Amino acid sequence: MKKTLAISVVALLAATGTAQAEWPTDRPIELIVAFAPGGGTDIMLRTLAPYLENILGAEIPVLNRPGASGEIAYTALAQSNPDGYTLSSLNTPGFLTLRIGRELGFDPAAICPIARIVEDPGALIVQASSPYQTMEELVAYAKANPGAVSMGTTGVGTDEHLAMLQLEEAAGIDITAVPFAGANEAKTALLGGHVTAIGLNVGEYSIADQNSLKAIGQFAEERSLLAPDLLTAKEQGFDVIQSSERGLATRCDVPEDIRAKLSDAVDQALASPEFLEQAKQQALPLSYLSGAEWVEQMPGRLERYTEIFSLIEAGR
Amino acid sequence: MEFIDLLALGFGAALTPENLFFCLLGALLGTFIGVLPGIGPTTTIAVLLPITFFLPPLGGIIMLAGIYYGAQYGGSTTAILVNLPGEASTVVTAIDGYKMAQKGRAGAALAIAALGSFFAGTVATFALAIAGPTLSGFALSFGPAEYVALMIFGLLAATILARGPVLKAIGMILIGLLLGTVGTDLSTGASRLTFGSIQLYDGIDFIVIAIGLFGFSEIIENLEKTGSSGVKVAKLTRLWPTREDFKRAWPAVLRGTGVGTFLGILPGGGATLASFSAYSLEKRVSKRPDEFGEGAVEGVAGPEAANNAGAQSSFIPLLTLGIPSNNMMAMMLSAFVIHGLTPGPQILQSQPQFFWGLVASMWIGNAMLLVINLPLIGLWVRLLTIPYRLLYPAILLFCCVGVYSLNNRIFDVALAAGFGLIGYLFRKAKCEPGPLLLGFVLGPLLETNLRRALLISQGDASVFIERPISLILLCATALLLLMMILPNFRKSREEAFKGEEV
Repeated sequence: MKKTLAISVVALLAATGTAQAEWPTDRPIELIVAFAPGGGTDIMLRTLAPYLENILGAEIPVLNRPGASGEIAYTALAQSNPDGYTLSSLNTPGFLTLRIGRELGFDPAAICPIARIVEDPGALIVQASSPYQTMEELVAYAKANPGAVSMGTTGVGTDEHLAMLQLEEAAGIDITAVPFAGANEAKTALLGGHVTAIGLNVGEYSIADQNSLKAIGQFAEERSLLAPDLLTAKEQGFDVIQSSERGLATRCDVPEDIRAKLSDAVDQALASPEFLEQAKQQALPLSYLSGAEWVEQMPGRLERYTEIFSLIEAGR
Repeated sequence: MEFIDLLALGFGAALTPENLFFCLLGALLGTFIGVLPGIGPTTTIAVLLPITFFLPPLGGIIMLAGIYYGAQYGGSTTAILVNLPGEASTVVTAIDGYKMAQKGRAGAALAIAALGSFFAGTVATFALAIAGPTLSGFALSFGPAEYVALMIFGLLAATILARGPVLKAIGMILIGLLLGTVGTDLSTGASRLTFGSIQLYDGIDFIVIAIGLFGFSEIIENLEKTGSSGVKVAKLTRLWPTREDFKRAWPAVLRGTGVGTFLGILPGGGATLASFSAYSLEKRVSKRPDEFGEGAVEGVAGPEAANNAGAQSSFIPLLTLGIPSNNMMAMMLSAFVIHGLTPGPQILQSQPQFFWGLVASMWIGNAMLLVINLPLIGLWVRLLTIPYRLLYPAILLFCCVGVYSLNNRIFDVALAAGFGLIGYLFRKAKCEPGPLLLGFVLGPLLETNLRRALLISQGDASVFIERPISLILLCATALLLLMMILPNFRKSREEAFKGEEV
């Protein structure tokens, strides 16, 4: 009995050993997307998957596991085998803000990013005919009329909401957050004049109707390539930095060399001219970071978000 | 001129071989499920919804729309021939249609139904084309306060117009409202009624409830009837109606079209409501009310025109305001969202070929349906002979696949099965699931808009009466409530739905 056990343990070790050496074999690598089909992240990853398939020589089926701001997908990833055959999308601020004040079904520390693909800064949008054509004008009005400026967001702790809270803090003003179920609903409300401003990502704004919408500031350290003429909030004197990042992740206990291979494959795919062309169509502000570089940034961001969340708590 | 150009653009988009194919497919499928009793367009579209992700957006939506109005045609065929209303909206057609068929005038009844439907469909399509863009400019002025007033009106209208006792309808709406609160609260991020399950953080999917309440429970109920008791098909005679039939049917078709187009636009309206209302209207204006129930041709013409007009015009609020007026339209809304399109004023400007293509396809689809229905009546009747023991397992399978593919999780299938059981109990208790679905859809809209309106006005509730559109809608609601309480109206409402108990 003992002998059989020993043999099977040896066999198991051998099997894992070969799997490591040969990764990827002809087994498909499952890519979990934390959003419903048709969303920005989903379309981006479905576009990218064929390039990764070519580079890695393995099939990469995309599986949507939407819900609970990504928690369902991250939980599925955390419960998968650490053999490098399961990937998941990873989005910030969602991945970082999930853990603030919420009991999670998975351990965020067990999930390691392998590559950042996109970083899209937020932008402050008003009607094209709005009386406030710069952030300064909007802030001046908000200062004189506390609460009168309303801003459409897509919920608590979302990009726009976090940016709005930072702006309130930086400028010492009081803005009313009005939650909508999605960016399109918020846009319609802005066009009808029911809210003063909304937040969109620069990528979304660059493909929106610029005759009716106008961006008055972007929340980036440096101006995005998609909006080179748009002043940053910092340039206008307000310390607001807010961007959404999208990338890929695996479990942390996936062997180091497999994670490195995946990360390199993404880097290589992002350099392909055909992919660049498709990315341009989707207005994706590509911004590759290796997993290690991305991880390094995360504690800083998390700290910032935790701070902002304490503002929400204080406001309640 | 601009209108003609836009319509030409629409026909250009709808007349591609691909879109013609999807239009025909939708119309055929719609007729098919319309003929089969028990499988409604709601179930069919719910099942097909996830599949449309793999179709081109316009093609997919053209097909789903075709199923909806196709079912209105198909349902009338079995209602007239064998007294089996395939759809709730053709229940009243069966009353006089089957009597006509028994008198050997089935052909006349079917032809009147098909021609009346075609006429009504054409008028409603043009109403959509003409009023759509006008409404959409108007639509932008609908802010949170206006939506609150509209939702209150819609919920009340759903109560007054649902079949059966008002109290039961109110109960069902309240259950729907309750189910609508499940999930993460948008304003605070707090989770409600999730019982700690992350599967419920985003609330319950509309399709899970719809397939459970309609698909699963329908099958459970049909299992009670053992064996098929041999459907009796009346003999088909001369197809074309007499001159006298035309003379009597014509005004009824006109009235039915008007009633249907109007009721389709209202929240809570749609084909079923339209046909019931048209039947009671015909009965009231007729010089020969005693003939109703004995084979009056107006009793077929009016409701058939109305259900088709209603089916079509219920697209107006969806396409221009982005709000679903009934559960079928809520399903269509999901279909749009799957393709990354949010119906509403923006779509008219950013993707005119989409809106006008759909409108044009509806007219084409109606013409196709006329062709399908008149010569192929004999074939459709033969569908009734498919044994249920083959049909039901297939439907069950499609339901499960459809629900699973929503989020790729088995939890949803189990949830739908649970709703199936609840739906069966509702049926036993003679409670309509329709108002529940409407409450489920409108409830969260009412809640979020109420909170938005009060956030924007900084807690000042007078915003609801200061804004003219909101004020008018609230007055209309008050009027409706008054009518409900007045005994006279209550009586006529009961009368309108009496035939359905047969």
